[in-house]
Amino acid sequence: MVKFLKILPIATKTGTVTIKYPYQEPLVTESFRGAIEVDPAKCVGCGACTRICPPKALTLTLEGNTMILKYFVGRCIFCGMCADTCPEKAISVTKEFELATGNVFDLYTDIEHEVKTCSICGKSFISKKLGDKVASKVSDIPSETMDLCPDCRRKEALKRFIGALE
Amino acid sequence: MVSSESAMNDINNNETFMTPSTSLVRDIVLKIRSFKDRVFGVEQKDGIVRIKIHRDVLPNIVQMLATLKGIYLRTMMASDERDLEGVYRLYYVFGVDKEHTNIVLEASLPQEDPSISTIVDINRAVDWYELEAHDMLGIEFLNRELYRLVLPEDWPEKIYPLRKEYNISDLIKFYRPKAIEYAKEIGAENIVTIPIGPYHPALHEPEFFELYIRGEKVVDARYVGFMVHRGIEKLGEGMKYDQVPFLAERICGICGFVHSSSYCQAVENALNIDVPERALFIRSIILEIERIHSHLLWVGVALHLLGYDTGFMHSWRIREKVMILAELLTGSRKTYGINIVGGVRRDIDSDKISKALDVLKYVEKEFKQLVDISISVPQVNARLRGTGILPLGEAIALSLVGPTARGSGLDRDVRRDYPYAAYRYISFKVPTYSEGDNLARTLVRVDEVFESINMLYQLLDKVPPGSISVESWEPEPYKLGIGSVEAPRGEVIHVILTGSYSPYRWRVRAPTYQNLPAIPIMLRNADLADAPLTIASIDPCFSCTDRAIVVNIDRGSIKTIPIEILSLKGLKAIR
Repeated sequence: MVKFLKILPIATKTGTVTIKYPYQEPLVTESFRGAIEVDPAKCVGCGACTRICPPKALTLTLEGNTMILKYFVGRCIFCGMCADTCPEKAISVTKEFELATGNVFDLYTDIEHEVKTCSICGKSFISKKLGDKVASKVSDIPSETMDLCPDCRRKEALKRFIGALE
Repeated sequence: MVSSESAMNDINNNETFMTPSTSLVRDIVLKIRSFKDRVFGVEQKDGIVRIKIHRDVLPNIVQMLATLKGIYLRTMMASDERDLEGVYRLYYVFGVDKEHTNIVLEASLPQEDPSISTIVDINRAVDWYELEAHDMLGIEFLNRELYRLVLPEDWPEKIYPLRKEYNISDLIKFYRPKAIEYAKEIGAENIVTIPIGPYHPALHEPEFFELYIRGEKVVDARYVGFMVHRGIEKLGEGMKYDQVPFLAERICGICGFVHSSSYCQAVENALNIDVPERALFIRSIILEIERIHSHLLWVGVALHLLGYDTGFMHSWRIREKVMILAELLTGSRKTYGINIVGGVRRDIDSDKISKALDVLKYVEKEFKQLVDISISVPQVNARLRGTGILPLGEAIALSLVGPTARGSGLDRDVRRDYPYAAYRYISFKVPTYSEGDNLARTLVRVDEVFESINMLYQLLDKVPPGSISVESWEPEPYKLGIGSVEAPRGEVIHVILTGSYSPYRWRVRAPTYQNLPAIPIMLRNADLADAPLTIASIDPCFSCTDRAIVVNIDRGSIKTIPIEILSLKGLKAIR
């Protein structure tokens, strides 16, 4: 027998290996990492995820009086580093991969946070939630210090220090 | 360079170094020391011997190395260290296979005169390294022809991207495509230019070979490449240590894990980070799974090029099981994303191990059948045997790596010669063939699939308990580290000079960089019809990058279109 004809019984036995996607359950395993989901209730807007995100799919921007955590799935590489990093465990990795769309805006998810403004210069500096979080963790910071932006806080501390010297 | 740590012993004071097993390295060091005041210091650490030399004696030393057997040029890193010591520095990394040691020759070039004598007439493998260092850092190599290799021809003169004074946003502004002038010449205000090619018909990646033919025979071949240089090394200098593995993994779409492993190993080597054993085993397991899928892919493509598409289909059918297994173990079919400096991010358990064993048994059985059948197809056999011959002498002269080298009888494998991850804990063979033809390179890969399956049985059986990454580590600036991995295509080597927050200099060398110069040799006197398979027989891998640049001829301006805008507006974004 011509040896290469042996492929025929193999092919017959194997049958069709392609599946009827999407009419059949897609074959992703239980380990699969897809798009991420940010829980707005848990997120405090600290920005840790934006600093670790390798492709910069997560960004934190300030628009007026709102701090926006923007997730652009078009840049996401589905590594899940954000979920590993998030101190509040607000980010979870889903199995979602059917993300194609005709409208690029469908690829953005925004989470809005109210911001805290400095009681002296009026500049916005952190999200209210993060401020509250820090205040609840560190009990001995006076509330007037908590309301100052880092610049003004430094100036005030220096003033107090010089005052104490005099 | 900040050094003289206690770990870095002077070679004369290090008793353990004087053992017979490293006698060749010892001889080399003693010979180099005979250059006396032209040699400024010798340091040794973890299989790396660093020798600081005066630039004048480099050709003499390389000439001396050329007379010895079993030494080859692994990579060369040029680095801008003007803000540290006012010099540019070149690191020539030579490997001594049998003694698991890298010899690094370090030559400093003063910033006012960054020139050094070429060594390309002594070691042909250094050709591209010198041209790239000239392109990217402006190093002058004397007594040779220097031409643009990596940068496009319309990149401005005297702008050297890897110099520290340029950041990435500056560099984008410097680029002025010649397309503007070309278009004006032909008066093409309203003509749309659509570039087609150059692509390899099998691998869909940008490469260009000019074949000179007489009748049906190839007389000579010329390679033109680097069409989509991505500047990844520069990009890595601006990223945090733990972000770079994800960038490194995207250097190759088929064997990305070797790059992230290699990068992590280089950092771990530079900073003396002790990776837990369990993490080393997981890295080895994933690396071997990657090799199996890559070789199955290649076998499929090769059969397709030979017109045997049935074999192609079945090879990829078997491969699909391996892809699903990779996803089960890492969370992703490809670009697994589980490497970080100091370990890995995903653990494996007994359930995953038993599923992996099932897949391996399936692949072993099915692939054996397929290989038997495919090789027996008369046309396949006839076109593999005796075509694209690469003699051993050429393989040695060009410092070739991987299956390309092993198909020509050059027995070189990083897994055995420079053990990393968990390879020291298992036993394995390195398949080599001496014929040097396309069949030999094919059989090396076929044998390696079975060898990898065998290695995986051992690795999965022996995974030790413990954590999968170090708890924390501290970066320390200006430490040199080398990490190398045997990729499916050959040896990958990353050299790193650490910085405070990011790598100070990160040098990547993929196997195709080393192996491509062999293709013109294989093609010489070959039949034209055998050229596609011969080119594919080194399993080439190029940067594949899609991007859009819009050139406004009237205003002479250029802009790059970000993916967000392109996907939103499509062609309108370009108009």
